[in-house]
Amino acid sequence: MAKFQWLQQKDELGPLSQLWHSFRQQHAAVLGLILFGFFALIAVFGPLITPYDPYLQNPDAVLLPPSWDDAGDVRYLLGTDDLGRDQFSRLIKGASYTFGIAFMTALGALLLGFLLGVLAGMSKGFRASAFNHVLDLALTIPSLLLAIIIVAILGPGLVNTIWAIMLALLPQFVHGIRNSILQQLEQDYVIAYRLDGANNWQILRYVILPNTWEQLTVLFSMALSTAILDIAALGFLGLGAQSPAAEWGLMVAEALDLIYLSPWSIALPGLLIFVAVLSVNLVSDGLRTAMRKRQES
Amino acid sequence: MLKPSLKNAPLISLLCWLGTGCQPEMPAEVRSGLVYCSEGAPETFNPQLVTSGTTIDATSRQLFDRLLDIDPISGDFVPALATHWEVREDGLSYTFYLRPEVQFHTTDYFTPSRPLQASDVRFSFERIMQTEHPFHRIGGGDYPYFQTVDWGNRVSRIATPAENQVVFYLRQRDSSFLSNLATDFAVIHSAEYAEQLQQQHQPQRLDSHPIGTGPFRFREYRKDGFIRYYRHNDYWGTPSQLEQLVIDIEPNNAKRMARLLTHECDIIAYPRMSELELISQRPDIKVQQQSSLNVGFWAFNTSRPPFNDARVRRALAMAINRDAILQSVYFEQAQNASTLLPPSSWGHHPEIALPSYDPDAARQLLSEAGFPYGFAMTIWAMPVQRLYNPNATRMAEMMQADLARIGVRATIVSLEWNAFRRQLRLGEHDSVLLGWNADNTDPDNFFRPLLSCNGVESGTNRAMWCDPAFDALLGQALLTDDRSIRRSYYWAAQEYLAEHLPLLPLAHGKRFQAINARVGGITMNPYGGIDLSGAFLRQPEGAP
Amino acid sequence: MIWYYLIRRLFLLSFVFFALTCFAFSLGYLFPGDPLVNFSGISQPDDELLPVLVQQYRLEQGYLQQYLAFLQRILQGDWGLSLASQQPVLHEIIRVFPATLELVSYALFISFVLGVPLGLIAAIKANHWTGRAISSIALLGYSLPIFWWALLMIMLFSIGLGWLPTSGRISVLYEIPVTTGFMLPDILMSGQTYWQAALQDAIRHLWLPAFVLATYPTTVMIRFTRDAMLSVWQQSYIKTARAKGLSRSQVLYRHGLRNAMLPVLRQLGLQFSTLVTLAMITELIFSWPGIGLWLLDSINQRNYPAIQGGLLVISSLVILVNILLDILYTLLNPLARKQVHG
Repeated sequence: MAKFQWLQQKDELGPLSQLWHSFRQQHAAVLGLILFGFFALIAVFGPLITPYDPYLQNPDAVLLPPSWDDAGDVRYLLGTDDLGRDQFSRLIKGASYTFGIAFMTALGALLLGFLLGVLAGMSKGFRASAFNHVLDLALTIPSLLLAIIIVAILGPGLVNTIWAIMLALLPQFVHGIRNSILQQLEQDYVIAYRLDGANNWQILRYVILPNTWEQLTVLFSMALSTAILDIAALGFLGLGAQSPAAEWGLMVAEALDLIYLSPWSIALPGLLIFVAVLSVNLVSDGLRTAMRKRQES
Repeated sequence: MLKPSLKNAPLISLLCWLGTGCQPEMPAEVRSGLVYCSEGAPETFNPQLVTSGTTIDATSRQLFDRLLDIDPISGDFVPALATHWEVREDGLSYTFYLRPEVQFHTTDYFTPSRPLQASDVRFSFERIMQTEHPFHRIGGGDYPYFQTVDWGNRVSRIATPAENQVVFYLRQRDSSFLSNLATDFAVIHSAEYAEQLQQQHQPQRLDSHPIGTGPFRFREYRKDGFIRYYRHNDYWGTPSQLEQLVIDIEPNNAKRMARLLTHECDIIAYPRMSELELISQRPDIKVQQQSSLNVGFWAFNTSRPPFNDARVRRALAMAINRDAILQSVYFEQAQNASTLLPPSSWGHHPEIALPSYDPDAARQLLSEAGFPYGFAMTIWAMPVQRLYNPNATRMAEMMQADLARIGVRATIVSLEWNAFRRQLRLGEHDSVLLGWNADNTDPDNFFRPLLSCNGVESGTNRAMWCDPAFDALLGQALLTDDRSIRRSYYWAAQEYLAEHLPLLPLAHGKRFQAINARVGGITMNPYGGIDLSGAFLRQPEGAP
Repeated sequence: MIWYYLIRRLFLLSFVFFALTCFAFSLGYLFPGDPLVNFSGISQPDDELLPVLVQQYRLEQGYLQQYLAFLQRILQGDWGLSLASQQPVLHEIIRVFPATLELVSYALFISFVLGVPLGLIAAIKANHWTGRAISSIALLGYSLPIFWWALLMIMLFSIGLGWLPTSGRISVLYEIPVTTGFMLPDILMSGQTYWQAALQDAIRHLWLPAFVLATYPTTVMIRFTRDAMLSVWQQSYIKTARAKGLSRSQVLYRHGLRNAMLPVLRQLGLQFSTLVTLAMITELIFSWPGIGLWLLDSINQRNYPAIQGGLLVISSLVILVNILLDILYTLLNPLARKQVHG
């Protein structure tokens, strides 16, 4: 009896709840989601909770090790850098930079890519074919390399980096969205709807959009992990955020000089980049698995 | 742990082969080779063409010799290629007698047919002096050091009365003449090699494939990679014990340090001050230090407003917390500078004090000068580590924070070193963090390159400061050999500078070198480039 | 049928190269500064040279003529001078390129040797702890920022344990003349008496960069092999083969692996571009004298002719590899051949 009820209940669930249901069953994905939420919270509210101004230099407390070390200082939880700036505050601030800006960048690329992808998917003939070829070209150039070139043109800096990464992420969005639209357009129900007299806009609004948002989420999560890695890598290469910004990649690069003196100042920002990317990838993997399961059921 | 039993033998040899487990048997060429890790690539292999310390370190004392040298301890002139010399009573002619049987390098691109002659010396200096000399324009026609000391106008001609005699005729008395000849820039080239190159229509190779008389001979240079020298076996002095000398180029401080720790480098130039204490505790590494004649400074571009106003310069100087900089950038391993000259120089004025740190007074002075709300400016920070400034970017960041307190909004400009110098030459900077290493013990070597009108043209005067009154002081100081008279002129010059502040002296750094403990025989100079010819390697104990 | 496909690919290739050269050409104008300097690399052309250059680069004519002149120069091998060294850009690229190819191919080799078997195990033991462990490790490796990973490896193996060197391809004390540009063959051809020691030293230098660079492609390989194998395993022909009584391993090798490797091959092309970017960062950290290090230096030096040339070479390489793998995939896969004109 109980079993029967359960099955019935499942059928009543909307697609979103179904997805959540199978997502919830994957422990790793849930862990990723919690981490993701944690990073998002810190990125938004981080500046309010930093114990110190991340740019405040304290010449009397230079290169302190983390507080659990014998030489550490309780006032500086994770120690200080060579200018006496509080590591903990800088790392928190870095979440807004690396994670927050990556999020905005990926979101911007998503919106733009969606627009272009819809245009590409709905158009036909020579225009579409030429567009495809340009897209293929853009896809072959690795996003980081493309970003590096754009930065070489615009000059180093965080704002230029954002534009560069957004542009570099664009092709994969356009490609993905166009493909899923084309796939949708071939479906019988679209043809049926068309025969009913629906125009392009209606098809897009009522059929394609509801059926592609999952695809969009997955694309977005993939783009987000790329964006985090790219922003950090460009910061590390000295092409992205410029000092004294507390961007994680830049912090690793600056700590390079202290590799022997304070290895933790390399380890910590890098670890945060790693965990941030990992959380996004876990969520992304979990989503895909959940979607596959839902489609199978 | 793996025990070397028969069963494990293949595994161990595999590990050995893949290079993890054990030290391989090294061939002799490698065993007796020294790797010096330098902080940058040389611009050329001819020290006459540069003032950059990096190029001098890599080329001058390894490949070439000078007519005379300065004893690093006593500061006296000692014979080098010239065994002795005579100065005429009026100080207007110097005769040098050359050492017999000094051999030039034999390489795969040149085989000398004769030892050093007077014509070689004449060739080396006439190239600099005579604008119509066939080699003068090769390599750009710029001889910055010689231009700064006004060589072309001071030396009227060079004569070679005999094969082993060179006479320099001067237009006026010049008490710094011998010091100039002893600098790392005044090297002796082979005239025979130049002739051969001219016949081959490749004169530019004189500066890229050098032939000298020094302890090492040139073998190969991989751009931005490394330079390979082999021992010059017919060297006139004590031949080096090193079979080969490789100068490995690594601009990144952290990577250089890492290579010292992994023993990929035997000596590293400019170890980071912050790490000196830690690494000196390691048994395999020793740190050498030597006080050095240098100064790190913050130069204002006095050719553009508002920096042409001495009040603005003074206000900016007062805004900077120099003690904090000395602590965080130099790690207290430097002397606070009050004038351009380090205290160890005989021309140093002991009673000069720079404006002290006082943001409030600075703000007031700035509003007197017409900038109550401050202004925006650029601080150019050199991207490389130098004795006089181990970390200019960090220093610039601290200054940026200090300047913000008096309302001055500073942006930091940092480019790759060669691009940095290229752009500086255009004079587009508002201010720049640079410094100067002395080439000899003469105080003139500080003032003239850094702040004379000639220095603006030759590109060593980044304050773009050209003051006829100041130039006159410097000129008068050279007209006598009497040290006390010269000193009074230099004191006057320092007082003049303290009043006008075209640049703010910050610190006199010490020279440090981190060396693998197996390397011996490295002596350090208080001025000029490094000399690696005396180095030897102690073989590890137990080695055959 | 197959010829039609090849011609289409060739057409695509030429179109892509056209677009690429257009982009490279426009960089001359997009970069800050004088286009003449950006193209020629002569930083201060004197009054005699200037009209000659303007003439040669057809700067006084329209963009189309300039582009054609640019194309001609590229084909003739005149890629301008590097602003930093005043050496021809093409020579510099030829000098540094083999080092990158060498590093990338070792990394790819490692990722094949490690990735495919691990991916297979992960697929076969999908619900066993080994399978799960492999998948998790793959996910971890997939998320690593490579520059941090490289630094960790250096901190552990070079500075901490002192086992491996941190930089370059071989100890600078070994004199190995450049003949092919590839280190291992160069050592064998050097004729030095110490070639064995040199070879050993070169391999010691290879370990860390190759391993670090291989991390990402290996994890990708594991993931793709596993996914492809899992989906192949559900195909009906596998079930048929099993039903026919073939053993598990027979099915695995004859039917499963062959079919699973096809999509992996295709993904390899898509991942190649990422691999090249990662190689650039790896080269920077390990001072590996390849094109990535050279290009990053050029960017720092605002060396525009070099950036232009480097971009052209790297993108061409990526595109060529992509198209070649795509062709290979189509040739090997009858199903794809049917869809070629779809």
